[in-house]
Amino acid sequence: MTRPGSPSLEPDLAKLIVQTLKLKVDPVSIQPEAPLFGEGLGLDSIDALELSLAISQTYGYQLKSSDPEIKTIFSSLRALANAVEKYRTK
Amino acid sequence: MHDTPLIGPYNSDDVVAWQQGQTRTARQFLADVTALAESLPDRPTVLNLADSRYAFLVGFAAAILRGQLTLLPQRRASEALRRLAGDYPGSYVLTDHDDRIEGLDAVPILSTGGEAPWPKNIPLVPLNQVVAIAFTSGSTGHPVPNKKTWGALTGVAQATGARLGIKEGDRIGVVATVPHQHMFGLEASVMLPLMHGVAMYAGRPLFPADIRSVLADVAGRWMLVTTPLHLRACVAERMHVPAGGLILSATAPLGRALAQEAEQMFQSDVHEIFGFAEAGSVAERRTVTGDRWTPLEGVCVVQERDSCTVQAWYLPEPVPVPDRITVESGGAFFLYGREADQVNVAGHRVSLGDLNQTLLRIDGVQDGIFFLPDEEAGLVTRLMAFVVAPGKTSEEIQCALRAHLDPVFLPRPLVCVPSLPRNATGKLPREAVLELSRQWVGEDGHGV
Repeated sequence: MTRPGSPSLEPDLAKLIVQTLKLKVDPVSIQPEAPLFGEGLGLDSIDALELSLAISQTYGYQLKSSDPEIKTIFSSLRALANAVEKYRTK
Repeated sequence: MHDTPLIGPYNSDDVVAWQQGQTRTARQFLADVTALAESLPDRPTVLNLADSRYAFLVGFAAAILRGQLTLLPQRRASEALRRLAGDYPGSYVLTDHDDRIEGLDAVPILSTGGEAPWPKNIPLVPLNQVVAIAFTSGSTGHPVPNKKTWGALTGVAQATGARLGIKEGDRIGVVATVPHQHMFGLEASVMLPLMHGVAMYAGRPLFPADIRSVLADVAGRWMLVTTPLHLRACVAERMHVPAGGLILSATAPLGRALAQEAEQMFQSDVHEIFGFAEAGSVAERRTVTGDRWTPLEGVCVVQERDSCTVQAWYLPEPVPVPDRITVESGGAFFLYGREADQVNVAGHRVSLGDLNQTLLRIDGVQDGIFFLPDEEAGLVTRLMAFVVAPGKTSEEIQCALRAHLDPVFLPRPLVCVPSLPRNATGKLPREAVLELSRQWVGEDGHGV
């Protein structure tokens, strides 16, 4: 889904996640395919809410849990980056 | 004590619940409840884990008609549920999804879609029937049970509705971001609509965009049952919804400034409830008008020297208030924060002693302490933990904790240390833990 010629959003999003949620990990150490919630980084629904605000403010994309794809979107850094790339308005 | 009807003043075709364009009417609801009640196993207690608020209500009502107690666990982590079920032998699980808990029988809550005729008589429930047990976090590490009678749940629902000016037959749709298995959610988002004959939204919107679209679709006036956390998120998104709704917030103190912003943005009054699981909802205020709390009709907050209790016709005995408060002569009161052992994380009250006991039960943990730092920027301030566990990594301990604690209570970060700064009597003064956290934050900084 990456725009042709534009770099992946993954590194920027990894930084946003770590900063927003004050995680004690190096953003580059987040595996793009690893789960963000539950096992993986161990995020919960409040993190999802915080993250949704940061994404909305930075990229102008408002997440909705009624979106049938929401589970996929939040499944990994890569999936999230693809969704933000696709729906961003800024 | 007399008996009262299972549902409020609904006509047979009034909507009890809606979601995604689908509705269930009062007639269909009673059919669902009757069918489920007939098929429930003969057991004393039930864990109702339904995700849908409507499915939960069907299961709850069916259990009540069968004289079964619904357990309202404080924690949803699988190990915590198994432990709780172990304390109540014969417990089974009611569920509307595929999650199973090993070792516990599960009964699905199915919406039959059946159409039974409107019954001549609505089923009655004795006011003194114990219908639920809510659990609170005690400092001993074991959940403390609090029995809830039908009278307590219906009494609070009626008193809250009366305070908010909700009348029988009003066209109101209640939407909630809080879970229905917690006391405030059960009282305000399940019992309140049920007792006033109004509709509830069966889902649980999380993101501001979800809340906006659900509120925009409400037939009639909307009422949002929520928390300061969700209100802050909505205000940050500057969303627009139909004016003239009603907001009810609880679980954590709502700041005056946030209440003002929320009132402006939603074009609606923001009311706040003070309560706690042991007593249920106790008092209300419109946050923008002042700090004073007014007890709900029928509730008294009584100050005796240093301690305060809540008294009400439906409470078998006075219930101590877990907060420091002062009561005015007229009965209104002011709050000054939690007692030392109790902390609030994202709207969930928990005992630090309880968390510490949980931590010490983890294999390989020799010593450890949970700690709530002072509030900082962001939506939520998370717990930290310092742990002495030679040979274990913080990831391993986190992983073990996850089976016992809800994610919101998982420490962030969990720091492994060689020893804790205990004093000569073995106590760990808050100042010493504060110093430890300062050292840790100072060395590494937050984040990277």
